[in-house]
Amino acid sequence: MKLAPLNTVQNAHDDSIWAAAWVPPTEDSGPLLLTGSLDETVRLWNPNDPDKLQTNTGHCLGVVSVAAHPSGRIAASASIDSFIRVFDVATNNTIATLEAPPSEVWQLQFNPQGTTLAAAGGGSASVKLWDTAEWKLIATLEAPRPEGLKPSERSGSKKFALSVAWSPDGRQVASGAMDGTISVFDVPRAKFMHHLEGHCMPVRSLVYSSAPLDSRVLFSASDDGHVHVYDAERKTLITSLSGHSSWVLSVDVSPDGAAIATGASDKSVRLWDLKMRAATQILTSHTDQVWAVAFGPTLQTDVRSCLLASASDDKSVSFYKYS
Amino acid sequence: MACVYIPVQNSEEEVRVALDQLPRDATDILDILKAEQAPLDLWLIIAREYFKQGKVDQFKQILEEGSSPEIDEYYADVRYERIAILNALGAYYSYLGKIETKYREKEDYFIQATKYYNKASRIDMHEPSTWIGKGQLLLAKGDGEQAFNAFKIVLDGDRDNVPALLGQACVHFNRGRYSEALELYKRALQVYPWAPSVRVGIALCHYKLGRFEKAKQVFHRVLQLDPDNVEALVALGVSDLQTNQAFDIRHGMEKMQQAFEIYPYCAMSLNYLANHFFFTGQHFLVEQLTETALAVTMHGPTKAHSYYNLARSYHSKGDYEKAGMYYMASVKESNSAHDFVLPYYGLGQVQLKLGDLRSSLTNFEKVLEVLPENCDTLKALGHIYVQLEQPEKAQELYRKATKIDPRDPQAFLDLGDLLISTDTNAALDTFKTARNLLKRGNDEVPLELLNNIGVLHFERGEFELAAEAFKEALGEGIWCNFFDAEGESILNRAQTNGEARSHNEQLSPNRRAQANLINSIRYPIEASSVIRQYKDLQLFQRLEEQGLSVELPWDKVSALFNLARVLEQLHNTESASTFYRMIMYKYPEYTDAYLRLAAIAKARNNVQVSLELIGDALKVDEKCPDALLMLGDLELKNDDWVKAKETFRTAKDSTDAKDSYAAVCLGNWNYFAANRNEKRAPKLEATHYEKAKELYTKVLLLQSANLYAANGAGMVFAEKGQFDIAKDLFTQVQEAASGVFNVQMPDVWINVAHVHFAQGNFTLAVKMYQNCLRKFFYNTDSQVLLYLARTHYEAEQWQECKKTLLRAIHMAPSNYTLRFDVGVTLQKFSTSTLQKTKRTVDEIRATVAELKNAVRVFSLLSAASNLHSHGFDEKKIETHVAYCKHLLEAANVHCELAEREEMQTMQRLEVMRQMELADESRRKAEEQRKVQLEKRKQEDELKQVMQQEKHLERIKEQWKSSSSKRKEKPTDDEEGGQRRRKGGKRRRKDKKSRYESEEAEAETYDQEEMDYDDNNASYREQYNQTNDVNDREDAPQDLLAAAGLEDSDVDDDEAAPSSINRRRRALSESDDEDEPLQRRQEPEPEPEADQTADMQMSDGEANVGDDED
Repeated sequence: MKLAPLNTVQNAHDDSIWAAAWVPPTEDSGPLLLTGSLDETVRLWNPNDPDKLQTNTGHCLGVVSVAAHPSGRIAASASIDSFIRVFDVATNNTIATLEAPPSEVWQLQFNPQGTTLAAAGGGSASVKLWDTAEWKLIATLEAPRPEGLKPSERSGSKKFALSVAWSPDGRQVASGAMDGTISVFDVPRAKFMHHLEGHCMPVRSLVYSSAPLDSRVLFSASDDGHVHVYDAERKTLITSLSGHSSWVLSVDVSPDGAAIATGASDKSVRLWDLKMRAATQILTSHTDQVWAVAFGPTLQTDVRSCLLASASDDKSVSFYKYS
Repeated sequence: MACVYIPVQNSEEEVRVALDQLPRDATDILDILKAEQAPLDLWLIIAREYFKQGKVDQFKQILEEGSSPEIDEYYADVRYERIAILNALGAYYSYLGKIETKYREKEDYFIQATKYYNKASRIDMHEPSTWIGKGQLLLAKGDGEQAFNAFKIVLDGDRDNVPALLGQACVHFNRGRYSEALELYKRALQVYPWAPSVRVGIALCHYKLGRFEKAKQVFHRVLQLDPDNVEALVALGVSDLQTNQAFDIRHGMEKMQQAFEIYPYCAMSLNYLANHFFFTGQHFLVEQLTETALAVTMHGPTKAHSYYNLARSYHSKGDYEKAGMYYMASVKESNSAHDFVLPYYGLGQVQLKLGDLRSSLTNFEKVLEVLPENCDTLKALGHIYVQLEQPEKAQELYRKATKIDPRDPQAFLDLGDLLISTDTNAALDTFKTARNLLKRGNDEVPLELLNNIGVLHFERGEFELAAEAFKEALGEGIWCNFFDAEGESILNRAQTNGEARSHNEQLSPNRRAQANLINSIRYPIEASSVIRQYKDLQLFQRLEEQGLSVELPWDKVSALFNLARVLEQLHNTESASTFYRMIMYKYPEYTDAYLRLAAIAKARNNVQVSLELIGDALKVDEKCPDALLMLGDLELKNDDWVKAKETFRTAKDSTDAKDSYAAVCLGNWNYFAANRNEKRAPKLEATHYEKAKELYTKVLLLQSANLYAANGAGMVFAEKGQFDIAKDLFTQVQEAASGVFNVQMPDVWINVAHVHFAQGNFTLAVKMYQNCLRKFFYNTDSQVLLYLARTHYEAEQWQECKKTLLRAIHMAPSNYTLRFDVGVTLQKFSTSTLQKTKRTVDEIRATVAELKNAVRVFSLLSAASNLHSHGFDEKKIETHVAYCKHLLEAANVHCELAEREEMQTMQRLEVMRQMELADESRRKAEEQRKVQLEKRKQEDELKQVMQQEKHLERIKEQWKSSSSKRKEKPTDDEEGGQRRRKGGKRRRKDKKSRYESEEAEAETYDQEEMDYDDNNASYREQYNQTNDVNDREDAPQDLLAAAGLEDSDVDDDEAAPSSINRRRRALSESDDEDEPLQRRQEPEPEPEADQTADMQMSDGEANVGDDED
């Protein structure tokens, strides 16, 4: 289990890169990397030939999240101005512009089936679900306010929704908040199920395990420097991984489910062996916060390995081979 | 019974005098002697007998009477006896002189003796015994040369005169000429073969000449001849003792004992016996023996030895007073440290024990003079210098000791202890040496040493090494099982997968089982109880239930605690918390563990648990200052102002106001209290600042090096507008703090930046903020980002300001104030661009775009305010929205205008270009025409030529038949050239059309923008209005108040009051006192004050919009 650095694109954007996501391969093209930046653009990269393929403009005030549809043909990006732009990957034609004021938009995620787009709704303390066929808002998943607390100034920002993740079967959505709690929702019934407690600082990234038997396992990355591994259904903490010296900004799980990668504001990318519950590799090639790490689809040449991409405030994007 | 008979004059009778019954009063005897005119030898005999009995006065009386002038007269012819009496007196006085210690008396005695000898010489110049006496006198006076001569005179007369031989031998011996002395002793022995004491002299010579065996042989011979010869016995005893071997020592002691039995008053043997009994611990005997020895000898060095023995005995019994006294006596007897150094050492020790450092120091220094390389003395002196607080000298001495004996771990340990406070690197090296020495010697390495090594590594930031040291200190124990449980991961970080597994298999099955047990008990945890994990002690209970006993010896608690600190530093929070909890479980009174856990919880923002843990610590020790201070800090974080102040006060009181940290905290409290109040109360403010300053100053008086107090003082100065002083202070603190690894003071960086900002040095301020962010916060602190943005704002760097604010939003998404600020920035940017007299279309376009963003931002805020209040007035936002919309309209008009202008310019340009192009084409056509003309001309010529040629050819054809192909070629060439030229023209045309289409696109874009503008018609009026407002930015303040603003800051107003206000905002930072190990808790920068700062910023900006209304 290791990461081998492949190549790095310096100055991939004109400013800090805040988001990255893989676009699955289609008949026309191999897997592509989508990045979003403070420079208000979204760019597409071919990992094999890391030259910029395409630059999409049309956002104002910094792109905070990008997500790709499982089909690989559609993608979405969101920025601080609270607009979601859905576009055609190949042509960059805008398919839809979504907004649900006053809810702002943070993390975006398509469900594995490709029917729904979930968006963490920030101050609205909810997750918005958008239908991908007609681009209509179909549900607002809201965590109940903790009892006994008045909707006062302070508690108002507490459940501020930052991050969102789909379970592999698409039946569950987990959402991380500024106060560190994670809310788990039942999607078909559009109901709040329960909280997962443990973090007390913002949870900026969430991901469900992709291994077939571990589909209940949820990884959460928090500003408290820890990654928690939860059993999302039994409401238990399976383990807690510490080692980053500052905020953990991003977490992603490898396709084989045996490892996770994390990116943190301590500038490092870590690879964690889940069996040993420890970091097996620490990569320090970035010179600023690492805002995004993302495992790509398995390689065609070698099914046991896949690509990992990391994007950082230092304006660079790095590609690694995970095997 | 010995007796003498005094013949009665003129008769045959005799008076019988029993020598052991001499009358007490010598006058009686004298009367008889005088009356009977007794022979002078009788006088001498009786006087000698008195002397033997210790009746010195009587002795003197008789001899003085016997040497009186009348006797001289009467016995004028009895020369020998008269000489004998005088010599006896001379010998007596020279002896007195010899033993007298006071100089004057000594001299007197010697003068007396000389007098008597001279008198004797006058009677007979050649009497050998007189010369011998004189020789002895001179010897006693230390005048070896003269003494030698005196003896020589005797020997010249009688070369076998034994006393003279012995005298000369003595002179030689004293001068260290042992072989000459030996010769003389041998001669004496030949003359007088049965003389054990002469043999003693021979033996001593041999001894001095280094021939110890020979000396021993001689001593043995002495003993054969005279088994009771005490000197020989003692000498042999000493030599036996000095072999330092058990068998010989026993022999030696036997001889000493023998000597003692023969003659119990030999001081030497008494001393040695006492020495022996000292070592066997029979202190009673030591005292008796030494007291006897002291009674029987007058010999200084021997007495010194006796006193030393006595002192040592008391010393070992712990009676330091007496020991000191006797050591002192011993020192007095021996005069010089060079003769006998041991009592100085003992005295030094005792004085050290009694706390008389100065005297002790002097004595040890004397020892060092004699033995400059004595490690024990060096160490003792080092120790004293430590106590005298002269660490440099102490260090020097310890260093010397370690140099002399590089194998003495103790010296290295002590040196290390000394170096800790001054030079941690050197201390670490020294400790390491000590550890290696101990290991090499197979000695147990003390826990403290390893602990110290660990701590030093820790302080240097070498956490891995520190962890190793602490683990070594801990040795085996329950923690190992936890390492196993965790260890597989820790150890394998650097290894590849395969090796990792193999390591795992190296563990014994038992230990693996235990590791698995721990892991299985640790996880999983119910998610709802995760946040209480830091208080969970059930883990250990369950472990014990499962048969794994949790043992933690008291002496290892510190090491375990330190290890946990290291793990914390390595971000292995899990293990750290486990070990802290283990300490809590076993030693519930160990408050530091509670506090560290509280600190971990706090770092993870788990305030509730942190508070509970601190509460637990306070239950253990309600006056624990660390706990109180942490509590106060948390209360501040929770905005519990009054409580926090109370807590800080309690903390300060509980430490008798000695704890400067508490004072600094109170200072900070006052500082924040000053600008906390939203309603300005200048009086209250001043009181708080004064109080804060007072507190900081007090701390600084006690500890001039207290960075935190200095920082605080700087803040107060800055608040008062004394920026140069403040900057000086901050810069100094910054310099001091940046050199130390474990002092992290981002605050002072921020403060320096604030001062730069306040003084208008925006570039410097930006740099400082950025450095601070990078250095201390991993660029994550949105508050500092806000400061940075504000600096850009003041510097009118709008793009930077906007980006910085966006970063801040990205860091702190739920902070809506930042969004508001973005809106304000965009608005301000637009306003300032529109105000410019010269602006490009691009600039205006950007303005329009940013204004749209501003409208968006404000609208979103306005919409969001329904959901939750984020602290600003809805109306105000509405105002901003409206204002931005107005601006946007204006901008659009401008844009349109500008674009129209641009279009016109472009059209003009286009026309010009086209004209140019037309000119050119005309010119070119002309040229072409010319060329064509020329060509035609040429062609014509050619034709003519050809015609001529044709003509010729035809003529030739007529002559021969040939082809006419040649004629067509030149025509082809001409046509190709023309085509090329045409192609060029077409390209130019293409270019032109593309440009036009671009223009068209731009136009449509503008059209869109204009559509956005509803009231296109009234744009000009509104713009003017805006301009007016912008010019009046420093409008009357009641107008602002009317607009619902509490703050009266006006941004563009650079006048004194507002700049101070701005500075006030700038200087709202708190201090963290990061004391290593124990006190990691920090009073966080108080958010309240800072929030007020951004509000002020926003408010200040808001007036742009509000004024318009």
